[in-house]
Amino acid sequence: MKKNLLRIILTVIFIAAAIMYLLPTYQDYQIGKQLAGLTGQDSLDFVTKNADKIKKSRDGRIKLGLDLKGGMYVVLDVDVVKLLQDLTKKKDDATLNQILDDLRNVPETSDIPLMEILKQKLKEKGLNLKSFYGEVRDSEADVEAKLNKEVDNAIDRAVEIVRNRIDQYGVAEPQIQKIGGKRIIVELPGINNPGEVRKLLQGTALLQFQLLKDPESAVKVMQSINSILVGKQITDSTGTKSNKLDSLKSKDLVTSKDSTKKELAGKNDIKKDTTKTKKDIAKKETNKKDSTKTNKKDSTKKTDTSKLAGDTSNLKDTSQANLSEEEFKLKFPFFYLVRLNEQSGTADGYVREQDKEKVDLILKREDVKSIIPSDVMFAWSQRSFETGGEKIFTLYCLKKDAELTGKVIEDARSNIDPQSNTPIVSMSMSSEGSADWARITGANINKRCAIVLDNVVYSAPVIRSKISGGNSQIEGMGSVQEAKLLEIVLKAGALPAPLKIAEERSIGPSLGEDSIKKGLTSSLVALLLVALFMIVYYRTGGSIADLALIINVLFVVGIMASFKATLTLPGIAGLVLTLGMAVDTNVLIFERIREEMGSGKPFRTSVDIGYKKAFSAIIDAHVTSIITGIILYQFGTGPIQGFALTLLFGLAANLFTAIVITHFIFDMLIEKGKHVSIG
Amino acid sequence: MGLVVLFLKGIPLGIDFQGGTEMQVRFNAPIEVSELRGAMDKAGFAGMEIKSMGSASDYLLRTPLQGEGQTVADKIQTGIKENIAGKDFQVMRTDKVGPKIGKELRTNAIYAIVFSLLGILIYLALRFQFVYAVGAVVGLFHDVLITISAVAIFDAIFPQLQLEFNQQMLAAFLTLIGFSVNDTVIIFDRIRENIKLFKNEDIEQVMNKSVNTTLSRTIITSGTVFLTVLVLFIFGGEVLRAFAFTFAVGVITGTYSSVFVSSSIVVDWKHRIIDKNKGRVSLSKN
Repeated sequence: MKKNLLRIILTVIFIAAAIMYLLPTYQDYQIGKQLAGLTGQDSLDFVTKNADKIKKSRDGRIKLGLDLKGGMYVVLDVDVVKLLQDLTKKKDDATLNQILDDLRNVPETSDIPLMEILKQKLKEKGLNLKSFYGEVRDSEADVEAKLNKEVDNAIDRAVEIVRNRIDQYGVAEPQIQKIGGKRIIVELPGINNPGEVRKLLQGTALLQFQLLKDPESAVKVMQSINSILVGKQITDSTGTKSNKLDSLKSKDLVTSKDSTKKELAGKNDIKKDTTKTKKDIAKKETNKKDSTKTNKKDSTKKTDTSKLAGDTSNLKDTSQANLSEEEFKLKFPFFYLVRLNEQSGTADGYVREQDKEKVDLILKREDVKSIIPSDVMFAWSQRSFETGGEKIFTLYCLKKDAELTGKVIEDARSNIDPQSNTPIVSMSMSSEGSADWARITGANINKRCAIVLDNVVYSAPVIRSKISGGNSQIEGMGSVQEAKLLEIVLKAGALPAPLKIAEERSIGPSLGEDSIKKGLTSSLVALLLVALFMIVYYRTGGSIADLALIINVLFVVGIMASFKATLTLPGIAGLVLTLGMAVDTNVLIFERIREEMGSGKPFRTSVDIGYKKAFSAIIDAHVTSIITGIILYQFGTGPIQGFALTLLFGLAANLFTAIVITHFIFDMLIEKGKHVSIG
Repeated sequence: MGLVVLFLKGIPLGIDFQGGTEMQVRFNAPIEVSELRGAMDKAGFAGMEIKSMGSASDYLLRTPLQGEGQTVADKIQTGIKENIAGKDFQVMRTDKVGPKIGKELRTNAIYAIVFSLLGILIYLALRFQFVYAVGAVVGLFHDVLITISAVAIFDAIFPQLQLEFNQQMLAAFLTLIGFSVNDTVIIFDRIRENIKLFKNEDIEQVMNKSVNTTLSRTIITSGTVFLTVLVLFIFGGEVLRAFAFTFAVGVITGTYSSVFVSSSIVVDWKHRIIDKNKGRVSLSKN
């Protein structure tokens, strides 16, 4: 009985864990069902009210593969020939261009690296790599190593550019992976627009240097946006008004679920606000307390991130609010979302991650667009910082016209500054760019210049002095990784990372629905048939086996949820097959027990001997299957890996259910003196 | 016969392994293959592979082309739009695989099969004796060959089944390897046990006894798995069909080969050793 106790405890723990991991999936399903029943404003309210819950269940749920959900799967390769074309010093050289054209026609399945072919061809013509890609002092081997490194770098650049764009495109749960050091896999669930995505992935990246708008005029722009949101006519910001505003602005981020809900409702329908305020006012008190707390935290955090802005002022607790949280939200909806920090002397707006989308929507509104001056644009920071457990993005107000484009950058390198021991990035510009750069920096000392890639701000350092000679240094990076990222971005301006689509699969959502329906129903039908057979053939034993089957499914799906694995159609097939194996295991044991009984042994002994004797066969069978599963996972891609994964999880779960769970159920039933029939 | 068809026609490789573009479309009204073919010929895809997908409004279009830039899929779409008037269609799925990737997937597929056979060989050699491992692996070879042949034959007779060697088919093959070896292992396990029990009996008798006692299990298991796969084949839709078909054939050959191929090889081998040594050989290792 002691042995059984341990088994029971184990089983209960595992089942509880599986259910715990599956809970988010169930919640997500429920939420989806509730949402489907709502329309328009109601659904919006529902989403905002349950934002946290939705996010939590979405993060924890079992993810469906592209074949079930629809979407795109793209594999990108670096276009080496294009890269070679971009890299050469002599772009117009006819011989080189001829050779590169020839390279294009080399079958892709060739095993010889393109670089070798290029070397060979140059040699035939009595030329070498150096004359096209190297400096006078370089050796041929150096040049080759340098070129190979450029190809490697190109992939890193491409990953960054692709990630940046996909983030802006707004895909839920995209997957961007670098594999084998030379290839990028992009998975975009729910996207069904191959042409657009192709353009997005293959377009040339645009790197620009843009000055920030001076803080006063930036704040004015934001004030007028705010006025529009409140529904008032644009009025000149008189002294009194802006004073009041300033004191309000400094009130920092406050988190409250209610406020988010209200905010969204307010944006769409201001009248609705009044109906809900009562409840919110009740929470006001607690909110206020929170606000001072977060404020302090923020101020220290903020100084960290605004290093680039040259901001060294220590923030004091500035939340001397004249208005309550609610009133503030009502009167200054824009500043409620986009928090400014007066003390920093900048007009950087700080926005919580979940508010980012709302701000985007506001900025896209026609009436808002019309009052944003034509020389001004807003852009997000690429990085976010964390405060009070929330991710905060920065909204910059930039001058629309770029001072310079990234084409003038010749090289960029991240380093550790030996004097201050902090990471820095140095960049050099072409002679032509240097002249412009000297002029721009000279005229804008102590102003900030943003480094913008595809409309996302990667850094916004302050110009300290006039930079002539084209060599600039950017300081104030928080980490080596941050510096490395900036290097990659700056290089993207110098040299695009040409990409080729090597594989592209897109599955329409209706096909996904089709296959999920068919896959699931057929699996269920098959399962039911098998379960029925087991009960008919093995009676009580069969029922026990069926119970084990159900627990088995629960385990497999639970393990998948805990590993955040993706369920694909082959995955469902894999699940069905492990169930086949599970049935087999039980059949094996039952047949053994029958045999033992046939030789005249009492039932109890037969059960024990049956389990014992079947054990070696079960282990061997499972291990061989596990071997195939592992190899399949190793060599398969995408969907096949999904199959292998469920197979492996299933086999593991199966060993446990068959050997531990069914055995103790048998034991318990026998102990209670019940008759257990196995056919 | 299977091998003849196999050599004459070859295995129908999917685009996964040879590269190309494939598009599945659904028209809102039934359409003749000939009409679609005419449209494709006009669009510059003469001789394109066009398969019906079960109904007269679902079609699969396939070409080995996989252009860069203005890609083939777009061209096919405009081709249909321009040449077939008055019929709306929906693109259900497009796949484009470059030749380089295709080649890699192909080598990976071969690696996967070879390595899994090797892994099984090693494991069985450790757990049983080398002879058993050889017997099992030869049995597996037999299964794979028969099943590939069956796929080739059925593809020649019923092209609408859409049997072709793609990644899913590879998964099916690896599963059938796993399943068949499972069968074999269970019989071997019984032999291993019985050899200890019946030390004085001839290997052939022991083998017979073992096969017989495990027979009921073999039939029940294979039967239920076959049933499962059959359901998948009938109701699973076109995505699972190739997988289910391959595996169904595999279940049959796997069961058969465990008894008649793998076990026989072990018996023959043992007999040969006995003949050589002119005496009884101790068979049990464990």
